[in-house]
Amino acid sequence: MNINGKRTALVIGSGGIKCAAAIGMWEVLRNEIEVDSIIGCSGGSVYGALIAQGADIEYMMEGSKAIWTSEIMEGYTTNLRAARNGSMKFDERSGLVDDQYLNMALENVASDLTFDQTKIPLKLVATDLADGEKVILSEGRVKDAVRASLAIPMIFPPWEVDGRLLIDGGVSDPLPVDVAIQDGADIIIAMGFTLSYRNRLRSMAAVQEQMNSIYMNNILKATYAFYNLAHHAEIFLIMPEFEQNLSLFDVDRIPEIIEKGAEATREVLPHIKRLLSEMAS
Amino acid sequence: MEIKDRKINDITVVGFAGSIDSLTAQQISAHMDGLIAGGASKIVADFSQVDYTSSAGLRVVLLAAKAARGNGGDLFLAGVQKQVEKVLSLTGFTSIIKLFPDVDSAISNF
Repeated sequence: MNINGKRTALVIGSGGIKCAAAIGMWEVLRNEIEVDSIIGCSGGSVYGALIAQGADIEYMMEGSKAIWTSEIMEGYTTNLRAARNGSMKFDERSGLVDDQYLNMALENVASDLTFDQTKIPLKLVATDLADGEKVILSEGRVKDAVRASLAIPMIFPPWEVDGRLLIDGGVSDPLPVDVAIQDGADIIIAMGFTLSYRNRLRSMAAVQEQMNSIYMNNILKATYAFYNLAHHAEIFLIMPEFEQNLSLFDVDRIPEIIEKGAEATREVLPHIKRLLSEMAS
Repeated sequence: MEIKDRKINDITVVGFAGSIDSLTAQQISAHMDGLIAGGASKIVADFSQVDYTSSAGLRVVLLAAKAARGNGGDLFLAGVQKQVEKVLSLTGFTSIIKLFPDVDSAISNF
């Protein structure tokens, strides 16, 4: 519901497979709240794109299963070894996995959809590899923007959009609430995720992954704290909690992830509805 | 939003009950401004009956803490519920405002 001209934005942050929780969030919100715009980042860009085009819940679940599989990591181990011993040439366009499978899987997310065709206005966030600047994508093919926003550094090759080589949006802004603030949203519903930490670090790759998680979680905290203080109205944070660590490919746990998303949303929904109804009266 | 004050020596304990959001933030803000204008500097905000706080609520708490510190005192949060603590933690509030499990332990830390 758009109350007294108040605008509501939905922001889905980075978090890999955890972002499937956005399906549960949308199941709870779709008949209760009218959303005026959607912003997605990294894994959240997949679900932002699906929700913005009006995909049904079943389709979103199937799309999730197609993306978060071990096949998207095709070639990782071999290429990691080759990159270490120097037999694989690595430059700014390289990644440790062959991205063919990911690119195919993204066909199910957006195919040839363009930003001007979405039912709800959509913006996706990526990062410029050349200077670390946050890049807001809102024109052209949605699939290209999702692919760029999802390009985990070193793992997936960066993706070129309009002459800029782009990587994962989570590197610059894991929960881009600021994009909604800039667009004039009053009520911002933000689904965010922290990255899990490993219990054991037994390889260089594991230590590297742990460092990435630490960096990303601290960027999330710093940026979210600032946005909270900067925003003139309301930010409702939805942060699903997972008892056990999730790997990027825990496809079998997608129903559980969705339920956690729904559960966390149900906790916050009464507060959102109360605010909206008070605004209407 | 229900707000109740009590005084324990030179410490003001403010109890809140309900949700802190943009609907209630103004009421809380006016209340805290009044306390601080009246000379209160050592303040314990009892959050044990606060079930939710949004960004608007956080801003009010931060402003009150800044004002209390400006008066030479501080503002401590007591009895914060898990859901509220999650938001406080992600916004970095737990590193700039001290949290205590209950009012008594907050008072004993002044």
